Amino acid sequence: MPNKVTIWKLRNSNPLRKSYVNNNIKLNEFNALIQITVEFSRYLYPFIREILQSKEDLEKNSVIWNDFNKRFVELIKERFNIDSMKVKKLLNQSENDEIIVRLLLTLSFCISNQGYQKLKNFLLDI
Amino acid sequence: MMQNKLSFHQSSVSLEIIGLPDFSNNENNDQISIISQWKLTIIDKPLIEGKIEHLLPIMDAFYIYSNLLIKNEIPSYESKLIDIKAENLHIHTIVLKSSKPNIKPLILKIGNSLLSDTINCFDQLNESSKVKIKKTSAYNEAPKKSKLGINNKVKLFDFIMPPFIAICSLILLSSTFIYFYNPVEVKEKNELLNPN
Repeated sequence: MPNKVTIWKLRNSNPLRKSYVNNNIKLNEFNALIQITVEFSRYLYPFIREILQSKEDLEKNSVIWNDFNKRFVELIKERFNIDSMKVKKLLNQSENDEIIVRLLLTLSFCISNQGYQKLKNFLLDI
Repeated sequence: MMQNKLSFHQSSVSLEIIGLPDFSNNENNDQISIISQWKLTIIDKPLIEGKIEHLLPIMDAFYIYSNLLIKNEIPSYESKLIDIKAENLHIHTIVLKSSKPNIKPLILKIGNSLLSDTINCFDQLNESSKVKIKKTSAYNEAPKKSKLGINNKVKLFDFIMPPFIAICSLILLSSTFIYFYNPVEVKEKNELLNPN
C-alpha cells in the first residue's frame, strides 16, 4: 500500500458501500487489506474483548455493547447502500447482534503472529 | 534436574508449560521439548492441568469449536476427553472428563471473551520458538474450498475420461472393419448372384 489514498480507494471495492466502484482487487491488495485488519485487531483487542464481555452479561454491563451497536448502525447508515438486502440485515436490530458478535470473534481469534494466515483461511472458507 | 517453565498470557487466561529440553538434540537449556505438565488458568474458574497427551486434544477441541462458531455452523464438539457446546452465542459450556475412574467431569462455563483469550494463549504456544510441540490439525486449517477445488479437478477428470475412452475405442474398432468390408467386392458378388 503506497499511501492512505490507495487504502481509501480500495474500500470502495466493497459492493455494499454507497461509493462502490467496480474494481477487481488484486491478490497483493487483498493480502494487504488482511494484514491491515489483523494489525488493527491486535491493537484493538482490549476493546474488542470488552465489547464481547459486555454482550455476555447485558444486565450487569450493557453500556459498552449498546454504544458500539449504536455507532456500528450509524456508520452503516452513513456509508453503506441501505437499499441492499444485505445492508438491511446489518441494520435490523433483531438480526445484527449475531453478525456483529461473529465479526468481533473472528477478529479476536486472529491477533497472533499467524493471524494473517488464519483470517485469510476464514475469509476463503466463508 | 530443574524443569523449565514457560508462561503465555492473554488478559484473563494464562497457560503454563513445564518440561525439559531434549539434550540429545543439542537443544538450549531454556527450551522445552519434553512437556511433563501444563496448567491452564482462567480467572474465577477452576485450574485445568494435565499431561502432554491431554493438551493436544484439548487444543484441537478449542480450535475446531472456534472455527465452527465463526462459520455459522452448529458449534458443538465431543470427544473422550472434552465436550464443548454453545449454550447460546455468548456462553459456552466445557465438560472436561477425567481419564481416571470415579472422578466427576469438570464443567466450566465461559463467555466469548474468555474463549478468545484461551485461543490466543494456544496460538502463542503454537508460535513459540522455545516450546517444541506437535501442531494440532485444526490450527491454521486450510480452507475447505481450496480442498474442494482439487476435488473438483478429480471429479472433472472422472467425468471426462469414460466418454473419451469410449469414443477412442469406437474409432479404433470401427477402423478395423475397413479391412473386412470392401464395397467394390460386395458389389461384384451381388452382380454375379443377380445377373439381371
